[in-house]
Amino acid sequence: MQIVAILAPLIVTATIVLTIGAVAFTRSHRIMAGLSSTGLVLALLGLIPASITVPIQVTPLYIVDGFGLFYMALILIAALISAILAYAYFETQSDYRAEFYILLLCATLGALSLVVCSHLASLFIGIELVSVPLYGMVAYAYRDSVSLESGLKYMILSGVASAFFLFGMALMFAASGSLTFTHIGQNPGGSQLLLLGVGMLVVGLAFKLSIAPFHLWTPDVYQGAPGPASTFLATVSKVAIFAALLRFFQTSPVAQNAWLHVLIIALAFISMLVGNLLALRQNNLKRLLGYSSIAHLGYILTAIAAGGPLAATAVGVYFAVYILTSLGAFGVVSVVSSPFTGTEASDLSNYRGLFRHQPTLAVTLAVMMISLAGIPITFGFIGKFYALLVAVNSGLWWLVAALIIGSAMGLYYYLRVTFILFGAYEGDAQKSLTESSSRTAIMALSLLAALVIALGIYPTPLIDLVNVAGIAVPA
Amino acid sequence: MNDAAQQSVTVWPLVLFFASAMGLVGLMIGLSSILGGRHNEKLGNEPFESGIRPTGSAHRRFSVQFYLVAIIFVLFDLEVVFVFSYAIAAPALGWAGYGAFIFFLGMITLGLIYEWRIGALNWAPKAPRQMRLEAIEINRARNLRGESTIDAGANHSPTLDQS
Repeated sequence: MQIVAILAPLIVTATIVLTIGAVAFTRSHRIMAGLSSTGLVLALLGLIPASITVPIQVTPLYIVDGFGLFYMALILIAALISAILAYAYFETQSDYRAEFYILLLCATLGALSLVVCSHLASLFIGIELVSVPLYGMVAYAYRDSVSLESGLKYMILSGVASAFFLFGMALMFAASGSLTFTHIGQNPGGSQLLLLGVGMLVVGLAFKLSIAPFHLWTPDVYQGAPGPASTFLATVSKVAIFAALLRFFQTSPVAQNAWLHVLIIALAFISMLVGNLLALRQNNLKRLLGYSSIAHLGYILTAIAAGGPLAATAVGVYFAVYILTSLGAFGVVSVVSSPFTGTEASDLSNYRGLFRHQPTLAVTLAVMMISLAGIPITFGFIGKFYALLVAVNSGLWWLVAALIIGSAMGLYYYLRVTFILFGAYEGDAQKSLTESSSRTAIMALSLLAALVIALGIYPTPLIDLVNVAGIAVPA
Repeated sequence: MNDAAQQSVTVWPLVLFFASAMGLVGLMIGLSSILGGRHNEKLGNEPFESGIRPTGSAHRRFSVQFYLVAIIFVLFDLEVVFVFSYAIAAPALGWAGYGAFIFFLGMITLGLIYEWRIGALNWAPKAPRQMRLEAIEINRARNLRGESTIDAGANHSPTLDQS
């Protein structure tokens, strides 16, 4: 039973072993991309038998429940799209393309283990298993000094955040004598030490999630990283770490603390305002998306601050929105730009009049922007509605105000991008996107756009799914 | 309260140790700087007064190959740590432990095969054909442009992006 419950991570592990073995003998780009996407699809199918066994405790470290399986599905879909984008992106590069897929699979494995962890040790292992391959992925276009620089920045700052996290873990262990989520804060002794520990844990996680006072690395890294790596960083790593944070806050007794509650509210408030304010005057699409992801993490943090049974639903719905739209937006950037045929096309001027020569991509990006802005009939509206609903329900009026002001500011810069897409085309000849690899990516992206609109009109199936996928509290 | 009192009891020797260590070092450096004579001479300020003269800077560039060798060494050296810790507990772990350990060794071996195949074990690895051709192109372009472009080339070959 336990093996069936963790079938998806096991399949991903087997795929990693297989790809490392394969890359020693063939460096065919097509085989590597095919092998890794097949592994990811099989892992996605492996979630179906796993759903019968849940909830189940697998070793003291992991608990597989509906919540975990839902986020596993989101992660696997995002990883699959990233792999498809990578196939289009690296097609024109001549050397060392295969290792990107191995790094991507390793990071996916880390993300899969994060969403089911019930112990601080497994939480730390998961975070490192996501972060360490990401250093390599961010610096993968190593001939481009911008990519190298962003990889180095991410590695050093991430290391500092991990140090905070570890120290927090040590303090929590000193205070409560256990690293299991449900035991931390159970006994009343040493509460100051415990709060210090939780505070450091929140600092470490907030850094990885780029929540506002810890967000400074975000725009630089997003801009410098190769398109598929930015896509992966903005979707998979964010979802996995946030799911772990949510599980910690929902199952650990220490989360009942009033001081911690104020801390989370403050982080959410600052994130929403800072992210939106900084995005206002951005002329680089990747940086703009980076700042907008800071704001969106603030919206999602609202749900954690609110707490209660509706919070998990709100986070689930919002993350489905965030994943689909971020995949689409970063995906378009990734398809349009490939550094090996020129410079990375992430400046907004590169997108002026994109509709004239790449109508599918332009419409996809426009749909994603409208969804990020939260305009009705797109899925983004449903997500924002849920965030607002939980905030109003628990009377967090400061957060409601920040959410409304932030959304109003968001409208300006999201719609600005949309106007540029449909403006007059005055550039020189763009990269020709007729290769089959690019066509696959474009097809996947337009599918995402269709999904965003379909779920915006009829979100019931997804909301039902999220409601079923509850967090199991171990006895 | 009781907890805090207990903590202060166990902590004070540490504080004392820290203070005395800092005090001792401070005393040694402070006294010798006050009492000791000072002379400012050219040779006197060199690191090794009576040894070989230092030449050049410590910030030298050396082959990236050393780094690769060091990393591979650390990887396989750490493996030995696991082998030893398994060896101690081998009888208690039984066949299940043996199977798990064989799996671990298999993964390490796979890593070794991978490193071997990409040429990380060769001192001067054979780059993929495409890269070799590009390197030839870059060298040719550099030689054609002459001395003035060496700085730009050493930094990050911009010719790659144009090709």
